[in-house]
Amino acid sequence: MARILLLLPTRTYRAPDLLEAAHRLGVSITVASEESNVLESRNPSGYLTLDFDDREGACRKVLEFSKKYPLDAILGVDDSTVVAAAAISSALSLPSNSVKAVEISRDKLLMRDCLRSAWVPVPGFVDFSLQDDPVAVSAIIRYPCVLKPTMLSASQGVIRADGPKAFVRAWKRISAIIKATRSVPVILVETFIPGMEVALEGLLENGRLKVLSLFDKPDPLDGPYFEETIYLRPSRLPKNIQNEIISCVEKAVKALGLERGPVHAEVRVNQNGPYIIEVAARPIGGRCSKTLRFGLGISLEEVILRQALGQKLNSNWIKPDPFPSGVMMIPTPRAGTLSKVLGLDKAREVAGIVEILITAHPGQKLIPLPEGSRYLGFIFARAQTPAGVEAALRRAHRLLKIEIQPAAAKSERLVLAACKQ
Amino acid sequence: MESEIKITAHADAHRPDTCKLEVSVPLYADRAAFFADKEKAKHSPLAEKLFAIKSVGAVKISGSSVTITKHGDEAWRSVNGKVAGAILEFLKSGQPAVSKDYVSNELSPDQLRVKVQEIFDSEINPAVADHGGVVTLLNVKDNNIYLRMGGGCQGCGMADVTLRQGIETAIRKSLPQVNQILDVTDHASGGNPYYAPSKK
Repeated sequence: MARILLLLPTRTYRAPDLLEAAHRLGVSITVASEESNVLESRNPSGYLTLDFDDREGACRKVLEFSKKYPLDAILGVDDSTVVAAAAISSALSLPSNSVKAVEISRDKLLMRDCLRSAWVPVPGFVDFSLQDDPVAVSAIIRYPCVLKPTMLSASQGVIRADGPKAFVRAWKRISAIIKATRSVPVILVETFIPGMEVALEGLLENGRLKVLSLFDKPDPLDGPYFEETIYLRPSRLPKNIQNEIISCVEKAVKALGLERGPVHAEVRVNQNGPYIIEVAARPIGGRCSKTLRFGLGISLEEVILRQALGQKLNSNWIKPDPFPSGVMMIPTPRAGTLSKVLGLDKAREVAGIVEILITAHPGQKLIPLPEGSRYLGFIFARAQTPAGVEAALRRAHRLLKIEIQPAAAKSERLVLAACKQ
Repeated sequence: MESEIKITAHADAHRPDTCKLEVSVPLYADRAAFFADKEKAKHSPLAEKLFAIKSVGAVKISGSSVTITKHGDEAWRSVNGKVAGAILEFLKSGQPAVSKDYVSNELSPDQLRVKVQEIFDSEINPAVADHGGVVTLLNVKDNNIYLRMGGGCQGCGMADVTLRQGIETAIRKSLPQVNQILDVTDHASGGNPYYAPSKK
C-alpha cells in the first residue's frame, strides 16, 4: 500500500479534509508535525515529529524513517511546510517542485523580483529594512501604497497608506507584527493597484497549468486592511478577462519555475489588465477547499493526493461541479474574547447554505486584521447562480450574532498575537 | 420461486484495506463475529468459505453484512466478486454462519465495552492528559464505538490526527472486531483546544 507523508502543522485547519481524502484513496498516512503527538509512541509509522524550519534535520529524519516505512509522496499543504516538503522530496528523489522555486514563491520580495524580471505584471515595489527611518522613507514614497511583511500569509500585516502620516503609523504597526511573529525584518512597499481581486486555484503538471477554479472576491479590497471574505465560483468576469488572468498566472508559474502540484494565485484586475499579487505552491487556505468538488464529488485534497502519488490527472476528476458555489470566511468584527455565536440554526436554514463551520472556540481571543491570524469560521453555499450563492452567504452571515467580550488594550492585543504564533 | 438476493459492496473511507458487503438477507442475525485468520474460522462455514479466497486476510460477519480485510494487490472488484460468490454458495447450503464454539467464546457488547474502556484507561487517556485532553467512551453498539473528545482535544486542530492515527490504531490493534469508531464531539464548543487552528 502506498504511503504519503503529510506535513501538517499542529494549528492547521486542514487535517480532517486531508485525512479523509487519504483514506478514501486507500493509502497509508504518516502525519508529520512540528510537535510530537501524544500517541506517537503507540503508532510509530503513523506519526513523525519534524522541525519544518530545520530542513537538513528534517531531511535526515525522514530519510531514516523511510528506510523502515518507504514513502511514495511528501505533501506540504501550507506556507509553513511547502519548502520543507520540496526539500524532503528532493532528498528522497521523489518528484516535486525545486526547492529554489518554492523558496522564491514563499517570499513576496523574491517573488516580485523574479516576476518583474520576467515581465510578468506586478505592482511597483521597493523593500526596506526595519532599521530604516519610516519618516524619511514616507517622504519619498508615492501614494496610495500598500505596506506588507514579506513572509506572512492571509493579509496579516498588510496595510494601505494614503499619505506620510498613515505610512508611518502602518510601518510601526507592521514592525510590531514582524517582531511578534519573528518574521523576516523587511517591509515591502508597493503601489496600490485599484480594481477587483480574483483567486485562481490550479494544478501544475510538468509545468502546465490546469485551472481548477477561478474565484471572484466580490467584497472590495481597497484597504486600509485587506480581510478576505467571500470567494465565489465560477467567475462572473467576461471570458476574455478570465483568459488574460489565466495567461498571466501561467507566465508567473513559469517564471518562478514551479512545475507540479497545487498552485494558488491572487490577482488584481483593472482596465490595464491583471497584476499578480501572489502565486503560492499550495492549495487554497483555511477550510475554503470544501467549496470545490470535482468529477463524482471528489475533493480538492483527493485530486492533490492523486497527483502527488503520480497518478495521471484524469479530466473527469477535475471536471468542476456544474453548480456555482462559494465560501465566506467569517470576518472578525472586533477585538475581544469570543463568548458565543448565536443564530447558527437560522443561518443554516437559509436556502443554498450547505454548511457553517465555527472554527474559533468560546473563550478564544479574537484579533482582527492586520494583527490577527485566525478566522472565526466558514460559511459554504451552493445555488443556481453565483449571485444566488453570494446572497445566501450574506444572508446567513447577517443572521449570525457573534458575542464578543470587550477587547484588551491595544498593546495587550499585540502581545496576544505574538503568543499565539 | 427463489427470492432475489442482493449483495452491495461499500468501501470503507477510513480503512482502505477493508470493504463491507451488505446482503439483503440475514447472515448472523443481531450478532457479530470476527475471524482474524483462517485458523479461527475453523468450523464456521461462511468464514471458512471466505478464507478459501486467497486475498482475504480477516472476516467479520455482522447481522446481514460481511466485512473483508484483504491483503495483497488484488483489486477489490475481483475480491468482491469471489466473496459474493462464496456468500451465495453459503446461503444455498443452509448451514449456520458461525460455529457453536465461536458463539460460546465471543465477546458480548458489555465485555467489548470493558475491553475498550481498558484501552482508554491504560493507553489513550494517560497520553492525551498531557495536553489536558480526555476521551470518553459513550457507547458500544453493533461493534461500533461511540466516543467523545473533551478538554484539550475538543476543537483541537490535531483532534482528527489523534483520533485516526492514534486512538483508532490502538483499538483496532487489540480489538479487530470493532466496526466503526465514531467521534460525536461538538468540536465547535471546545473552550480550550490544545492547538487552535490559524490561517493558512
